[in-house]
Amino acid sequence: MSLLRYHLRKLFMIFKNEVLVLPSRIVVCIFFILLLIWPLIFEDPYAMRIVILASIFAIFAASWDLLSGFTGQINFGHALFFGVGAYGAAILNRQTGMPPWGSIPLGALIAVLAGLIVGIPCLRLRGTYLALTTLAFPIILASLIMTAPEYTGGEMGMSGLARLAMSRTANYYIVVVTMLVLVTVMWKITDSRMGIIFHAIREDELAVKAAGINTTMYKLIAFSLSGFFAGISGGLYAHFMRIAGPSTLEVSMSFQVVIWCVFGGMVTIWGPVGAVFILFPLLEFLRMWPEWRELMFALIVLIILLYMPGGLLPWVRNKIETECPRCKIRNVAFRSSCRVCAAEMK
Amino acid sequence: MALPFLEVSNLKKGFGGLMATNNVSFNVARDEIIGLIGPNGAGKTTLLRLITGILKPDSGNIKFRGKDITRMKVWDIVNLGIAGTFQNMRPFRRLPIIANVMVSCLSPRALKTGEWVKRIEAKALDALEFAGISDMALEKASTLSQGDLKRLEVARAIATDPELLLLDEPFGGLSPAETDLMAKSIKRLHKGGRFGRLHSEGPAMIIIEHKLQALMKIVDRVIVLNYGEVVAQCSPEEVVKHPAVIECYLGKGEI
Repeated sequence: MSLLRYHLRKLFMIFKNEVLVLPSRIVVCIFFILLLIWPLIFEDPYAMRIVILASIFAIFAASWDLLSGFTGQINFGHALFFGVGAYGAAILNRQTGMPPWGSIPLGALIAVLAGLIVGIPCLRLRGTYLALTTLAFPIILASLIMTAPEYTGGEMGMSGLARLAMSRTANYYIVVVTMLVLVTVMWKITDSRMGIIFHAIREDELAVKAAGINTTMYKLIAFSLSGFFAGISGGLYAHFMRIAGPSTLEVSMSFQVVIWCVFGGMVTIWGPVGAVFILFPLLEFLRMWPEWRELMFALIVLIILLYMPGGLLPWVRNKIETECPRCKIRNVAFRSSCRVCAAEMK
Repeated sequence: MALPFLEVSNLKKGFGGLMATNNVSFNVARDEIIGLIGPNGAGKTTLLRLITGILKPDSGNIKFRGKDITRMKVWDIVNLGIAGTFQNMRPFRRLPIIANVMVSCLSPRALKTGEWVKRIEAKALDALEFAGISDMALEKASTLSQGDLKRLEVARAIATDPELLLLDEPFGGLSPAETDLMAKSIKRLHKGGRFGRLHSEGPAMIIIEHKLQALMKIVDRVIVLNYGEVVAQCSPEEVVKHPAVIECYLGKGEI
């Protein structure tokens, strides 16, 4: 009993000293809790649907950030992984009757394969050339799908897939918990030793090679990790919408993810996730003025990027938090001395 | 008969019509410090880049401990124990300085040789301390001055525990006092031993440098390059009197 009390007390102290001191951490906590209790407060199925779709696209956006933001392999054809994940799950589900909990991970593994297929020829390219080459891959796959309508459903796509779960609330929890777990995993990956190497490859690949690190392997790891997470989001999308169509491979899909990431702040993982949860509901909200919707959306994105070139969320974070000049620990903006090293904050 | 430590034979590399290195051959022993000098454009940096594998030669080969490394990948060569620095410094500008060194500490060779060091941060910090910039470890690399970037290059190279260290102008951008300090550090590194948690094999070295005074104090042997060819190989005392060396620096003429 006293042991339990000790651990509870320790947990509380960690919460108090590590989480409550920084507004960004509090916001993340609120975000997690709010997402988890959302269906208990709001019964509205439409709002729930928006949150589900936003969660799916949040995984997708974060996976782009992992590949293009961190490793610097700018990918303008990220819809490929999403589409392969969606079609992979759909074909497995329709042809073999596999339930969603099997078809989604297997579809994601097919997306990993797609990541390797894209990654190996792209190893020699960098920068603009890489971006333009990757742009072609989803278009190639889309036309391949059109040529085999008996397996893929052609233009109509594959409909009538199994539901994720029977009730909408169960759907919601499956998608949201998956999203929270996967995004945390991605964030931990970028925070690990591998993350340092990813960062360094983006900065200067030759210098990483000269430090004795097999950059080819790490770039392929980045491609396949990104493909895996994007494939999971594609599979979730297919099973949630109960259809996998060619729209998942569209060019607009590839560019949407770039907009989300740039808007939310690249090289952060949490930036794109936050951006999806801001922009996706915003786009739905703008449905009130249907003919102006796209224009207003574009204007908002443009204005934000004009005044906050690093992305919206890092800008906000830098406003409410400052970095200690000595120990580089982040502090609330209104503190006059650093909470760790007590250095004076300027 | 022991195998030669590093054996460079008949190395040729041309860029278009220009022969950057032409039939360069020399040996390096395990316990030597070699100075590589020559006028600008003599092919010194090209030679170093050929050894580290960043450039591939047109012909000729390089053997390290009897193993042909001419066509090997850059990272495999580093993991065999050859580390080099870049003349034009290439730090990861947006990363903290310590993360720059941690990348080197993450190479398989560095992880293997220092397996009792669980925290690579500690090892990276010791490499920075050796180079003399540990007090700035948490700053972004873009804030460093030219001289400090040189030191960062050195720290990054020694963090891989090399047996052969190729330094491309390690004194560039350093003041005379700092040059002396760096020269002493290099000498100390060459003796081998431990610097905190950083283990030094006592690497053999090839140093390119234009500050000859400081260089001559630490090297055992000097190789002079001109127009991609080895002009002279001799001890630092002899090199200043060597007629071919005087010719390539000052030209030849009647007085």
